[in-house]
Amino acid sequence: MRLLLIEDDPEAARFVLKGLREGGYTVEHAADGRDGLFRATEGKYDAIITDRMLPHMDGLAIVQLLRQQGCETPVLVLSALGNVDDRVRGLRAGGDDYLTKPFAFVELLARVEALLRRKAGQQATTALKVGDLELDLLGRRARRAGREIELTSKEFTLLEFLVRRAGQVVTRTMLLEGVWDLQFDPQTNLIDVHISRLRQAVDRGFDRILIHTVRGAGYVVRDDGP
Amino acid sequence: MALSERPPFSNSFRTSAFRLAIAYCVLFTVSVSALLGTIYLITGSVLANEVDNVILIELDQLADEYDREGQNGIIAELTRLREAWGRAGAIYLLVDPTFAKRAGNLSSWPFSGVPKERWLEFDIEALRDGRVVNDPVRARVIEFPDGYRLLVGTEVSERRQFQERFRAATLWAIGLTALLGALMGLWLSRRLMGRVRAISTACQQIVAGDFARRLPVGGSRDEFDALAVAVNHVLTRLDQQTATVRATFDSAAHDLRGPLFRLRGRLEELQGSVGLGTEARSSIDRALKDIDSVQRTLGTLLQIAQAESGAALAESARLDLGELAQEITELYEPAARAQGLHLQCSVENAWVNGHRQLLTQLLANLIENAVNHAGARALIQVTVRASAVGACLQVADNGPGIPVADRERALRPFVRLSRASSTGSGLGLSLVAAIARLHQARLSLEDNAPGLCVVVQFQAARPENTPQDHAVPAAPAPRADAVA
Repeated sequence: MRLLLIEDDPEAARFVLKGLREGGYTVEHAADGRDGLFRATEGKYDAIITDRMLPHMDGLAIVQLLRQQGCETPVLVLSALGNVDDRVRGLRAGGDDYLTKPFAFVELLARVEALLRRKAGQQATTALKVGDLELDLLGRRARRAGREIELTSKEFTLLEFLVRRAGQVVTRTMLLEGVWDLQFDPQTNLIDVHISRLRQAVDRGFDRILIHTVRGAGYVVRDDGP
Repeated sequence: MALSERPPFSNSFRTSAFRLAIAYCVLFTVSVSALLGTIYLITGSVLANEVDNVILIELDQLADEYDREGQNGIIAELTRLREAWGRAGAIYLLVDPTFAKRAGNLSSWPFSGVPKERWLEFDIEALRDGRVVNDPVRARVIEFPDGYRLLVGTEVSERRQFQERFRAATLWAIGLTALLGALMGLWLSRRLMGRVRAISTACQQIVAGDFARRLPVGGSRDEFDALAVAVNHVLTRLDQQTATVRATFDSAAHDLRGPLFRLRGRLEELQGSVGLGTEARSSIDRALKDIDSVQRTLGTLLQIAQAESGAALAESARLDLGELAQEITELYEPAARAQGLHLQCSVENAWVNGHRQLLTQLLANLIENAVNHAGARALIQVTVRASAVGACLQVADNGPGIPVADRERALRPFVRLSRASSTGSGLGLSLVAAIARLHQARLSLEDNAPGLCVVVQFQAARPENTPQDHAVPAAPAPRADAVA
């Protein structure tokens, strides 16, 4: 997987590059907007990570130009400008996700992974399956080992969000954004309580648990096999 | 902050322009009435005097004739006058003491007996255009020493007609004056109201977040243009200041978040390195938590600045406050229950125009505030009610509450009341206040007896068909989350 990072702050770039390479990605780096746009247009990348405030050219302008040229490569916008409307502007300009600095590195990794997976499979489905857990998306019903699981509507949405990203780390912020449509940072760990209730419903009484906690990062739904 | 009033000129009859126009109209009409009335009265009396004088002079002459020539002389004179028709409309009648006619052009004595009044008015029958009509006559009678009586009069139908026409003309003139005055007044007040409404509409749009708008300047260089130019000048200055503040906040955010990001990166890198003791690791964990807390405070400050600048209104849309409150309450409910609190929600559909993310923050802050401060086993109730004036949000708890004296202070930034000393940045309620102000909602801290009840009264949403230049989808979900 080839990534392009456009970031002018050398220290921040070094840290992100190192982290992404340790995560198994091939990453190229552009230190200003003009170079970034040039590489993004010329090279073949699976995803682009760009800062917003760059020398010579704004990160959003790069995204807009790329989209105008018909480039569909997923773009993650990083920004030190972090009010909620900046985020909306970033997404409207054609960015696929928006992350406010400073962020924990696991957050970046999880989002990059989500972007790459999104590109991989976009087919519409009516049913999802992980291990012996089956989700009927039309009837909004879940069954595990053939037995119906009682879920509230929100719990089903939460489970669907996780199962759609099976095998992929989903952070708490991603859950807040994706399931609750919220861009804010609650003081308490609200998500953990919802997940533990979901676990009660899905994993209780089964030997193999499907909802795993990834320490310091978030959650992943995964069937580890027998 | 307070609910803005309805447009003050929904009824055109209440405008001061209209009242002024009505006052002028009444004054003008009264003046014209007085003038024409006076002319009418004076003309009437002049005409009457003229008739009377002619009658008196003729009566004198005939009396002299009688004195000089006796009955036969006056009869001859009357016959001569009757043949000559010297004076238009002249009426003569000489009667003997039994009221039998002796001479003149009147067929019979028109009264029964001798009338008491000096001036007499009666009708005579005359043929005009083949029809019998009653003509009014004004006359005077003298009695001679031998018992004969002489009546001299004038047929006054022309005078009457003239007077009637004059009266009708006067009334028409007054009526037309009143009508014209009223029309002028209406036109004038419409015109003034149009100008004021244009200014008022522009002001409302500016308050609603369209900061680039200016008051309309008509080009007629009248007092309204002078006012509009002055206000536009003020608006431009304010706009420049807001832009400066915004730029300052943006660069402050950038300059603070950059170093924080590098700091976080180094600490995370350090965390990943091998050979660290448990103590060092927990130190790093605590440092990362501190960075989170600094970041949160910084974010809150930026949100306050964003709300106070009013720029966020550009992203506002019509949304159901009840549904939003329900969603946020459900998000917090399990965590509250885990802490032994009861968090309840009772909402109805209540449409408001608002910034979804900021309203979410407002709700979250109020609920977090109650969860943190209401104390163990407290009952927290979130209520949304819709009414004609708008939507009312209440977040009430039965905790210790806030003393009346401290309530206003609690809304200021960085103020921690004693009960709030343990957690929070001290910015939560001031962010709530800023978001309420942005939405022109009224925020009040009230006594829940016991406990605190925070009331936010929103205005009702504009009708759905109102054009929304910058309306965004209420749910700006990132595309990455929309598909598997």
